[in-house]
Amino acid sequence: MNNDAVKKITFRVQRFDPEKDRKPHFQEFTVPVKRGTTVMEGLLYIKENLDSSLAFRTSCRMGVCGSCGMLINEYPHLACHTQVEEFHSDKLTLKPLPNMAIIKDLVPKLDTLFEHHKSVKPYIIREDKEEMEKPTAGYLQKPQQLDEYLQFTYCIKCGLCIAACPTSASDKAFLGPQALGQAYRYCADSRDEGQDFRYAIVEKDHAVWNCHFAAACSEACPKGVDPALGIQLLRKGVAAKALGIKKTAAPATLATPPALAKPKIDVPEFTVEPK
Amino acid sequence: MADKGPHQNYLGMWGWVWGGNYKLERYLYLLHRITGLGLLLFGLFHLTVTTIFRVQGEAIWSSTISFLDNPLFRVGEFLVVAAFSYHALNGLRLIIQELGFALGKPVPPIYPFTDAIRRKRAWTLVTLAAIMVLAVAFFIDFTVRGWG
Amino acid sequence: MKNTYLQISQMITGALVAVLLAIHITVQQWFVVLGLLGIKVADPTTWGSMMERAHQGSWVGIYIALLAFGLFHALNGFRNILLEINLSALAIRILTGFIIAFGVIFLILGTYAPIALFSSYR
Ligand code: HEM
Ligand code: HEM
Ligand code: SF4
Ligand code: FES
Repeated sequence: MNNDAVKKITFRVQRFDPEKDRKPHFQEFTVPVKRGTTVMEGLLYIKENLDSSLAFRTSCRMGVCGSCGMLINEYPHLACHTQVEEFHSDKLTLKPLPNMAIIKDLVPKLDTLFEHHKSVKPYIIREDKEEMEKPTAGYLQKPQQLDEYLQFTYCIKCGLCIAACPTSASDKAFLGPQALGQAYRYCADSRDEGQDFRYAIVEKDHAVWNCHFAAACSEACPKGVDPALGIQLLRKGVAAKALGIKKTAAPATLATPPALAKPKIDVPEFTVEPK
Repeated sequence: MADKGPHQNYLGMWGWVWGGNYKLERYLYLLHRITGLGLLLFGLFHLTVTTIFRVQGEAIWSSTISFLDNPLFRVGEFLVVAAFSYHALNGLRLIIQELGFALGKPVPPIYPFTDAIRRKRAWTLVTLAAIMVLAVAFFIDFTVRGWG
Repeated sequence: MKNTYLQISQMITGALVAVLLAIHITVQQWFVVLGLLGIKVADPTTWGSMMERAHQGSWVGIYIALLAFGLFHALNGFRNILLEINLSALAIRILTGFIIAFGVIFLILGTYAPIALFSSYR
């Protein structure tokens, strides 16, 4: 394909307006694409030139913010991160991500994702509350300890994994691959002491044991997070704990503040009072 | 009246069967569920036969066996042993891998992204090969004995 | 930790059932293959062959173990599926009750049969 050659591609877009429609329907648009045109650029073309009422979400246009997840030809993709050329087809079918509600057109309601994410306490928990509120230093961590969880930190909360998951398809209360993967991410962090809290949460109904390792989440994830691996490793820990054979290493210790080194410039005091 | 507010878009139980163009493992999951339910159904029927019709003496047992000895039930029996082969061997793989074994360690996400289950595809393929061998062996066995 | 114990039991009974069912199906279904390997067995479905097994304590043990583990595994597996289809907590409670009752009935029926046949020997 010549760099400048323009091709006409049909975008078959699922439309749904909660003010007017009872059911979603499809509308077709013809979009000129060049080599390298992303699906997101196609959608922006439609919005600017053909139908300004088309609703979709986008922010970063570079696969970082997780706004633009949608089904493209029956597979979840980030629209900004996916070129039209990849599909070798003159027709693209765009639908909103399934296994959550639709707000309008291609905009899925991600609220449940965020609620489930919050519910697994996705932050470092330490027993020393004082140090948590007013940190005096960083924690020491070896590169090998970082490797234990680094992969899972790349999650951008796009929800593609949830669209792929068969348990999320039928069970609305299921925490889903995203939240369970993040539960593992924090449990595997050597700085964390919140494992028991999170185990108690993921051990309930509609959580870690409702994964059946279809592994579609890991396949769909645009960031290579592999949530299915996280879930199985989380299960290993939960099962070992229940059987009383879990080995837990002591949490990471505080790095002693460098006593000899003086900052070259004066570091200003906190200007905002922590709550 | 149009219903205002978000439109529910869950695939529901159909999503177990098909949710998009995914790879092998998602269908192995489905087959595990179907064979499990199939074996459950067979088991209940089978228990009725091997208890109620077994304790009433030779005449009733023999007539039950000869009643069941027809092509329809023979094909059913073959499906049962094939389902058993699949559910048992895939189940053993699941027991191991669902407890986080035989999956390797997390890797840094560098293009092209891979995932653990597919880096260790060999285990799945060996399991499937063993299931195939078993199913074929059963098929030969059924053919030698006759289908009813 | 109820769910974790249930799921570990699901896996352990699965592994046990795999062994027991392999024995059961080999004897019931594979006697042609066994015959080709030089192990001669009579048609296992005849009354005589069946009663021969029924009078051996080890077979009674295998059947009752298969029955108990198999029932737990299958019914708990079935309940796991029911937990994934948005049923209300009440519906789950009621269905769980039914499943347990069902399991107990089949457990009694299936334990009675081999023991009755075993004791009819003497
Ligand atoms: C032969 C050895 C067997 C093994 C190793 C085995 C293993 C397993 C495992 C590991 C699971 C959990 C799967 C998951 O977490 O997704 C499972 C589920 C299940 N099994 Fe088995 N199983 C065996 C035999 C049976 C038999 C004989 C029956 C029926 C009579 C049965 C019925 C079920 C059912 C209904 C489920 C639930 C399926 C689901 O949740 O998708 N299994 N089995
Ligand atoms: C198609 C393959 C199968 C055949 C031909 C078969 C045949 C039989 C026969 C003839 C008996 C009576 C006992 C005897 O002869 O010693 C029996 C008992 C039994 N079978 Fe099977 N069976 C098969 C598969 C299965 C499967 C898949 C299960 C598990 C779900 C199972 C579970 C049992 C149990 C628990 C008993 C003992 C029943 C009792 O007396 O309590 N069988 N089977
Ligand atoms: S795990 Fe992957 S697919 Fe799921 S929300 Fe995070 S980045 Fe998206
Ligand atoms: S717009 Fe940010 S990920 Fe696509």
